[in-house]
Amino acid sequence: MSVLRPLDKQPGLNTATILLVGTEDALLQQLADSMLKEDCASELRVHLARSLPLPSSVDRPRIDLIVFVVNLHSKYSLRNVEESLRHVDATFFLGKAAFLATGAGRESHCSVHRNTVVKLAHTYRSPLFFCDLEMEGFRATMAQRLVRMLQICAGHVPGVSALNLLSLLRSSETLAPEDL
Amino acid sequence: MEMQPGVQAATESPDSGGGEGRPPQVAGAQEARPEDRLTLLLRLRAQTKQQLLEYKSMLDASEEKTPEQIMQDKQIEAKIEDLENEIEEVKTAFEIKRLALHRMQLSAALKKNLEKINPQTSVLMDNMKHILKLNKLIMKSQQESWDLEEKLLDVRKKRLQLKQASESKLLEIQTEKNKQKDDLAIMENSDKIKTVQQNLQTEIQVTTVIQHVFQNLILGSKANWAEDSAFKEIVLQLEKNLTMIK
Repeated sequence: MSVLRPLDKQPGLNTATILLVGTEDALLQQLADSMLKEDCASELRVHLARSLPLPSSVDRPRIDLIVFVVNLHSKYSLRNVEESLRHVDATFFLGKAAFLATGAGRESHCSVHRNTVVKLAHTYRSPLFFCDLEMEGFRATMAQRLVRMLQICAGHVPGVSALNLLSLLRSSETLAPEDL
Repeated sequence: MEMQPGVQAATESPDSGGGEGRPPQVAGAQEARPEDRLTLLLRLRAQTKQQLLEYKSMLDASEEKTPEQIMQDKQIEAKIEDLENEIEEVKTAFEIKRLALHRMQLSAALKKNLEKINPQTSVLMDNMKHILKLNKLIMKSQQESWDLEEKLLDVRKKRLQLKQASESKLLEIQTEKNKQKDDLAIMENSDKIKTVQQNLQTEIQVTTVIQHVFQNLILGSKANWAEDSAFKEIVLQLEKNLTMIK
């Protein structure tokens, strides 16, 4: 199918699946490895994709969380993510999608402005994380955060839903552009 | 383009090694496994409940009709904000209710506990007495601060009143002064004064003419007026310039 929908398949028992979309294969692979190293009570599955739409020939489990990885050093990754966003159903953005911007540490190499990504996340009302995926420590922390988020989005944490988490993650930064 | 090496089963925590089909990670005793299975089952139950809840809520949400017409961006944003505010309100109400419920549960448990044990000797009673003492202290100091604030307010009110009174007095003084000035100006400009002044002028002129006439008479008569003192006085008086008197 060409459009990803969040609830069209039945969830696997004790399984949580995350889909990482981005052009930087090496970084995605490293992030996936860090996530799998995390201690988690449920079974984790990490899917990597360079861009959507995903080929429908493959049998894949229900995707609980999509993370769009944008590298601030390359405009191509931003455009790629924007293209892929079209193939995602709107109901995904009720807490099951997030943006991750990497490469913000080296300001001189950044060709995409920070504000562009902020506005993108704001338009889609999804949380935005900044993390330098090349540094081991930051990557491990980010992996931990993503694993917790994934558990919540997959419904493995009783009492907290993805939408609940979304409104909790709404920080004061995202509110400021609305006032203007 | 999707890369397939992504399907990797993660490590499970060692206590859930009782699942079927998986090699038992726990090399421990047999009696550890039933508990692990139980924990696993309970966890799966909680998960399934939560997932069921999510599906149900999605169903409920999709029953609501969404507006099909194309609205402007601003309207959509406003609608989104309204909905978000609604969500926040519901959440806070829920939290408050939960808090109230917890408090009730806590007080019920406390009551039961107190009935069971000897109320005189427990640490709980000491704590509660301390709490009561502190509360009394708090209330007393709050009362004191309230009184002080009242006094401050009274003093400020009085000050304001005095200020207002002084303002009105000064205003009165000013109006009086202005009235006096106006009266003076009016008086100066009235007609009576003008006619009187004119009469005065004409009288002065007449008198000056009479003075000159007398002067010339006396000079013309070639009489020696310097000898006789009374005569001298009259002549000198005629010399007085009457316009200076004004």
